[in-house]
Amino acid sequence: MTLDYFFTVLTFSNIFIILALSLNVVMGYAGQVSLGHAAFFGIGAYTSAILATKFGWGYFPSLLMSILVGAFFGFLLGLPSLRVKHDFLVLTTIGLNFVVVAIFKHIDFFGGPYGIIGVPRPVFFGKELETGGYALYTGALAFLVILLMIYIEKIYLRYGFEAVKENEDAAESIGVSVPRFKIYAFTISGALAGLAGNLWAYQMGMVFPDDFSFPVSISILTMVVLGGVGTISGPVVGALIVTFLPEILRPIQDYRLLIYGIIIVLVMLYQPGGLLGKNGLLRSIFKR
Amino acid sequence: MLKVENVKKRFGGLIALKGVSFEVKEGEIHALIGPNGAGKTTLFNIINGFLKPTSGKVIFMDKRIDGLRPSKIASYGIARTFQIVRTFPEMTVLENVLAGLGKEIYRSSKVFYEKVKKQGRIEKAEKLLNLCGLEEYKNIYASILPLGLQRKLEIARALATRPSLLLLDEPASGLNENETKDLAELFKRIKDMGITILFIEHDMRFTMGIADIVTVLDYGEKIAEGIPEEVTKNPKVIEAYLGTESDINA
Amino acid sequence: MQNVINALILGGIYVLISVGLTMIYGILRILHIAHAGIYTLGAFLGLSFYAATGNFWLSLILSVVLTGFAGVLIYRYIYRKVLDKEKIVSLVISIGMFTAMQELYRLIWGPYKKPFALDLGINDIRTKYFVLTQHQILILTVTAVVLLILYFLMNYTKLGKAMKACADDLEIAAAMGINVEYVISFAFFLGSALAALAGILIGVYENNVYPTMGSSVSYKAFVVIVLGGFGSLTGAITAGFLLAFAETFLVAWKGFILPRDAIAFLLMIFILIFKPEGLFRRVTR
Repeated sequence: MTLDYFFTVLTFSNIFIILALSLNVVMGYAGQVSLGHAAFFGIGAYTSAILATKFGWGYFPSLLMSILVGAFFGFLLGLPSLRVKHDFLVLTTIGLNFVVVAIFKHIDFFGGPYGIIGVPRPVFFGKELETGGYALYTGALAFLVILLMIYIEKIYLRYGFEAVKENEDAAESIGVSVPRFKIYAFTISGALAGLAGNLWAYQMGMVFPDDFSFPVSISILTMVVLGGVGTISGPVVGALIVTFLPEILRPIQDYRLLIYGIIIVLVMLYQPGGLLGKNGLLRSIFKR
Repeated sequence: MLKVENVKKRFGGLIALKGVSFEVKEGEIHALIGPNGAGKTTLFNIINGFLKPTSGKVIFMDKRIDGLRPSKIASYGIARTFQIVRTFPEMTVLENVLAGLGKEIYRSSKVFYEKVKKQGRIEKAEKLLNLCGLEEYKNIYASILPLGLQRKLEIARALATRPSLLLLDEPASGLNENETKDLAELFKRIKDMGITILFIEHDMRFTMGIADIVTVLDYGEKIAEGIPEEVTKNPKVIEAYLGTESDINA
Repeated sequence: MQNVINALILGGIYVLISVGLTMIYGILRILHIAHAGIYTLGAFLGLSFYAATGNFWLSLILSVVLTGFAGVLIYRYIYRKVLDKEKIVSLVISIGMFTAMQELYRLIWGPYKKPFALDLGINDIRTKYFVLTQHQILILTVTAVVLLILYFLMNYTKLGKAMKACADDLEIAAAMGINVEYVISFAFFLGSALAALAGILIGVYENNVYPTMGSSVSYKAFVVIVLGGFGSLTGAITAGFLLAFAETFLVAWKGFILPRDAIAFLLMIFILIFKPEGLFRRVTR
């Protein structure tokens, strides 16, 4: 494994950490199901790709836009979640994922099935960033997002989310407006996923519709659930496992998805709180 | 303080409330009783904001509140507990109360920067736990607590929102004799704090022992109202409860 | 007119798949995403048996029965263990199973589309207005027979009534003395068997069977149960045909730009937002 390759994988893990944490806000904190999260990832990625290639925007402005657009679409998704309960929400989010990918695939502005290529390397202070630098940059951002999560866990926003997740009626009775907090959750989640999308677009240099399809949503879900929904370390560890496992399992690369599927089933059967959840395997190891 | 004016509620073909009016005065301990299905919890849900009346008004401290969101009504100073206990199971006892203390914060931008576990706030929470006899359980997860303690926790959390009016839905249900005595003591302490209580109950001994005023509902209408001694002797009330003699004679 | 036939065929298939999904959701309230994997299993088993025996009907029956039992196994050894946990657990497990199943099929039978050529020896019906190929005749007949049997089962047998009772309220059904375990197992068996049947029919009709064939169809099956009202059998049947007709005719209309699959999703999102109970109310909880 070359150093360059290692940096690339590291970059992916950083991006996925941010993505997993973003899903965690909606699912782990606010208890809402979102099975189409790759859609926000894709929206962020395409926003950056389009701004960079078709409008010639620089890196930081397109980063900002990806975050804002992600937040906006997160907000939009928050709206149906108000009307629609658990099972229905699952199907709506899956549907949204599909529709978004279909739009990317079939509308020329988004490049159709060939996607958008030619996204340049980000330029910082006049210097173009290459793999090592980019890995560092994404790592810094992932770290910042983790700090953000730690911050959120301390403020009343978290308690509002938790109240909504545990009992909506009781939440309302203590002054938590359930719709408001659901929208907060989806908006923040969308913004962070948009951020991840931007990082992806600049890493890959191109975006394709299938990079954001339902199986990707499943991967993100796996990361969160494997590590432990609702914790910070859970999604982080989950993201790391999902990113590095295929590399470690290189020789049995072909069986990768099968192994994921089996892992998911086993984890759900025996450790539904995730490996770092309350009764999780890894958590008890670290407690000693 | 609270005026319910001719509130009617229908659910499709079913008329749950036929036009109920009554008033709760400041500082009272006011009981709402009646056989099962009389519409008591429906009335609570309307006062509290979970349901809209089909017609009629609910006025709290001169502000009309029917049809508003529960969280908004909570911000006006009405707190509530539920018939089936709804504590936050994955939070500790202390955290449940801390959640209640955030009532004003949730609707402002402070929610994005106000730290929960500040010293002053924790002290306030512990005081409330003390008031309700829960201080030794403060770090225990609410889901593990027995029913009686969970009910107290619900009350503590409701008190944390600094209400002027406390709505309690069957607070004594499922409690044994000692726990019921405890609850009556708690009611007195709450009254001393200047908080008005409106509660639904089936336990007659408890109710008649603690309430200042009793309003009786049956089949969605008010059939009697007055001090406990009068209400228990009221023939209409006795008739409504026929078949559940044990309640009246308890 | 040709479109009507196409729509009927498509509808029939959607219905066959959705019946199982609806029954399972109705009773257990879980979204059995792995159902799509069962559908694919049926198709592959059917193909393999056919290749081995050369007898279509025998292969059909073998595959349908075996797949039915596979469904029961999934219930007994996986879903049953997590029924008492949060809903998200059964959902994620279902997704995990589905992923694993598709991969398993790919590893066993290869990722390419395998042909399922079948000649029943009957002639196509050709009239001035439409053509009815032998495969279409097969599908229409089989679907009609199945629906008839289903109707009879649900409305005139004890088992059918027991299933309805379970769908209404599981606890009360158990309290009334219904053997709930048996009913649930039967629901999984029947649902999976029908899915397998659908898989084989589609395999024959489109002359290909491949590991990911479950993906697009499964999503549509969910749309069907949403449209039909999450647990209502008649609803699912009506919705299945409705969706098929919508897809067939909208796509045939030249002004329609979106891909066919998007129709189902837009419909679903629409209904979920504006009329979440679906077209036929059944869910009482």
